[in-house]
Amino acid sequence: MRLTVRRAVFAFAMLLVLGRSAGALFETRDSKLQAVKTVGIISAVGDRFVFSKAGLTGFDNSSRSVSVAAWALDDFFVQQATSLLSARFQVKPVSYSRATFAAINESPLRPVELIRGDRFKKLVETDVTPQGLDAFVVITRAKSDLGAGGRKVEGIGLVTYSTVAESYSAIHALYEIRVVDGKTFDLIERLAAGPLDNSTDLRLAGPSRLLDEGIPVGGNVANDDSMHRAVVDLITRSLPVTLEDMHLR
Amino acid sequence: MVEIVRACFRSPADAAARRAASAALAVFGVMVGLPMPAFAQTAFTLPPPPFELPFLPTLSGSWTATIGAEGVYKPDFEGAKASMLSAAPILYIRRAGSPDSFHSPRDNASIALIDFGDLRAGPVARFVPARNQGGNAALYGLGDVNAAFELGGFIEYFPVDWFRLRNETRGGFGGHGGVVSDFSADFIVPVTRSLTFSAGPRFTWESTAATAPYFSINQAQAMATGLTLFDAKGAAHSAGVGAQIKYRINPQWEVHSYVEYQRLLGDVAKSPLVMVRGSANQTTVGIGASYSFDFKIR
Repeated sequence: MRLTVRRAVFAFAMLLVLGRSAGALFETRDSKLQAVKTVGIISAVGDRFVFSKAGLTGFDNSSRSVSVAAWALDDFFVQQATSLLSARFQVKPVSYSRATFAAINESPLRPVELIRGDRFKKLVETDVTPQGLDAFVVITRAKSDLGAGGRKVEGIGLVTYSTVAESYSAIHALYEIRVVDGKTFDLIERLAAGPLDNSTDLRLAGPSRLLDEGIPVGGNVANDDSMHRAVVDLITRSLPVTLEDMHLR
Repeated sequence: MVEIVRACFRSPADAAARRAASAALAVFGVMVGLPMPAFAQTAFTLPPPPFELPFLPTLSGSWTATIGAEGVYKPDFEGAKASMLSAAPILYIRRAGSPDSFHSPRDNASIALIDFGDLRAGPVARFVPARNQGGNAALYGLGDVNAAFELGGFIEYFPVDWFRLRNETRGGFGGHGGVVSDFSADFIVPVTRSLTFSAGPRFTWESTAATAPYFSINQAQAMATGLTLFDAKGAAHSAGVGAQIKYRINPQWEVHSYVEYQRLLGDVAKSPLVMVRGSANQTTVGIGASYSFDFKIR
């Protein structure tokens, strides 16, 4: 009888311990964000505008890119995110090497990525000042598959899709947002911006819109106001939704 | 991050699969009757999950669910003369906006652990239903062959967006313990924004251990069936062609159809089961429709 009681007490104690551990382990991202008061915003989407081709292409379907540094898109991301997050968090300015963040590319070998871990959170720990904030919001370019052939497009750019009957182009702003814990440098949340409600026939896993037929494709994009406005519009409309999906608003 | 769950139950002999198919078709029927908003507009929003696993990506965000049904008219068993119609549900969920990557009817469930975009590779799995002698008069006296599971790897390469080369090589256990290697090439032609046509050749090689359980005739089987003794060796198993057409009616609805023809080769074609009671010409025809809608998880 005494043995049975001991076993019951032991089992109850184990349940309590396991319950507390499981509670910590399975804590939702939303609840982790409850403790966050101060945040720093890092944006490193980069300043390249990428032209890609997909569908019925020729044998040379490699993409090319041009600089759109004049658009200052990363500054725009920081400004927009600051404005959207200020209602809930105290947003502090931070310093970092934008080029270092923008240079990170994911390995095509998924097991390597799993073993190596998220490199952005390591950069946040080593390359961002000041430290000591509750969390860091890191905005970087994202990738999306395009079409049947597994072609990948990323970041800011324009893709031209060709069929037997026609060709059409869409502009895209593919980015993802991470929230890194400022104390433990664990990844609290990571989400790529999703497509907008008026998404195009061209399925992309991120904000995109068809380019009006009248707009010429190529040439000097950096000086193209309509292209700049289109990208800014994609960011302006998708960022609030993405931050909301991440429980940041 | 794209996670795809595809459920296919194509064996009418399997009661559980048949029930699952019926349930999916019933759900599909209900879906057809429901007014749904346009694709990429959220149909409904689910509350956030009560707990999350730290090593898995967040479920929050927009998702696209696709639900549908496919009718498949195919040989009753491999080498059979008679064909039969069966139903298969279509169900998969992916991140909103994710494109449908090209998928041939012969492709089996796979995960790309290596993904360079134009070159992908990873594990692949296939379920081969049991072949029961009670299922078809041509099989009487041959005994049953248990269901087999095949596990292995796949590699596919797109030298250009409109051409794919793929190989799946799988080792079996259960009904057979051999090796099966499927080769295919597909020309993928986007005709319009809504219409895609694809076609290409196919070839399958099988080892003796993968061939013999289905096509050898041992002494007991010969006595029970009157067929001659036969020792089926592995080699070139079949060669053929396949074609597929997909048409997106609108952002929600898509219909597709395909035909796959295979000519059995080598000892498989020479097996008395095929020569006397079956056919070396194997044709599979499928037609299906699917409906997509978006939903959101907070």
